[in-house]
Amino acid sequence: MAQHSIELTVNGVRRFVETESNRTLVWVLRHNIGLTGAKLACERGDCGLCTVLLDGQPVKSCLVLAVEANGRSLTTIEGLSKEGALSPVQVKFIEHGALQCGFCTPAAVLAATALLKRNPAPTREEVIESLEGVLCRCTGYRQIVDAIIDASHSNH
Amino acid sequence: MRDLLPKFDYHNPQSLQETLALLDEHKADARVLAGGTDLIVSLRALQETPGHLIDIKGVKEFRNLSFGEADGLSVGAAVSLNQLVHYDAALKVYPILAEAAGTIGDYEVRNRGTLVGNICNGSPAADSAPALLVLEAMVNVASKTNTRKVPIQDFFKGVKKTTLAPNEMVTSINVPIPPAKSRGGYMKARRTMGEDLAMVGVAALVTSGSKLENKVRLAYASVAPTPVRAYEAEKIFEKNKPIDQLLDEAIPTVMKAVCPISDVRAGKAYRANLVRVMTKRLVRGLWEIN
Repeated sequence: MAQHSIELTVNGVRRFVETESNRTLVWVLRHNIGLTGAKLACERGDCGLCTVLLDGQPVKSCLVLAVEANGRSLTTIEGLSKEGALSPVQVKFIEHGALQCGFCTPAAVLAATALLKRNPAPTREEVIESLEGVLCRCTGYRQIVDAIIDASHSNH
Repeated sequence: MRDLLPKFDYHNPQSLQETLALLDEHKADARVLAGGTDLIVSLRALQETPGHLIDIKGVKEFRNLSFGEADGLSVGAAVSLNQLVHYDAALKVYPILAEAAGTIGDYEVRNRGTLVGNICNGSPAADSAPALLVLEAMVNVASKTNTRKVPIQDFFKGVKKTTLAPNEMVTSINVPIPPAKSRGGYMKARRTMGEDLAMVGVAALVTSGSKLENKVRLAYASVAPTPVRAYEAEKIFEKNKPIDQLLDEAIPTVMKAVCPISDVRAGKAYRANLVRVMTKRLVRGLWEIN
């Protein structure tokens, strides 16, 4: 099985990684690059806790091979704050207490960030739909949805 | 943690010819990788252990999504479900297809998963299949030495089985323009509001006008070994009678076209009842738009 030399732009930084063809993107992010915000949980595309933005689009990185991401840009939760300041979505998650254990929080924040980029003023229903692929077992989603709606208001 | 997928060689062809040559070389030991949202799950579960994955996303032809007044909609094998769901022509001319494709997985899955992959996976629960069946889509199949067109109703052969030979792949799907004054809908029963496979999926296309034949088209997912179209039941709607009477007459014939089973998502009797209720609700709703 061949080794592949791939280039990823992760949170704006170019990274060169040697990987085998059967490594998933979430594995490479965690083990080669050392970014552990994307979680390994179900590893079958159900829970969505490995969500990252691939060229700005939220994807489940357990269902993407690292080699498939060659040459692409990734944003992980570690890349959202700017010079130590949290992103507007992150701030609203804190204000609304939109997390308990925090395990799904990186995924929910990234999914919300992508939603607000493509739809700056989503309805509550659209927010809920955008979270279909992110399972949270603590909050019951209400605070998460409130936080995202609030973040959309401060968007304007 | 099962940290590794089974071993395979990864190929990243940049042309149609190169793709078909690789498929011809490795045949049953190769799998085509488009979105990966089904394939990587089945690799992880060791349900399949191909020696070669052929990633088709680098090939321009497979990324084609286009619409023309003459040929209708063409969806390449690497076009994601979200690209399709948000494509203007799909929304305007084929709302039933956009609606059905929009129920597959969740937003993130639809960013990777493809329409072609949804049918090639051969699942009885493929949500796009009933819509493609009532729209009478054509599946474009190619191998290194041959190309053929397969009507969608001939594509599915059994659970996880399709008409594809090991050296063949689907290059694109063509969807003809629906009849004038037709409107369609896809109704999906699932256990949660979010991502879930269908307990039952029903697609209907209803056409107004004086011509009575082909007035109602019906197709189903998750109630037979393959997605199925209920041709015999459709004929009943050619009679000139009130819709409720037609539906009462048609339902027993619909039930002959399906053979629901009990599984983790629903029991056999419940599924059968869903088929009856959903068919009535969907067709009556579309009929009344008349």
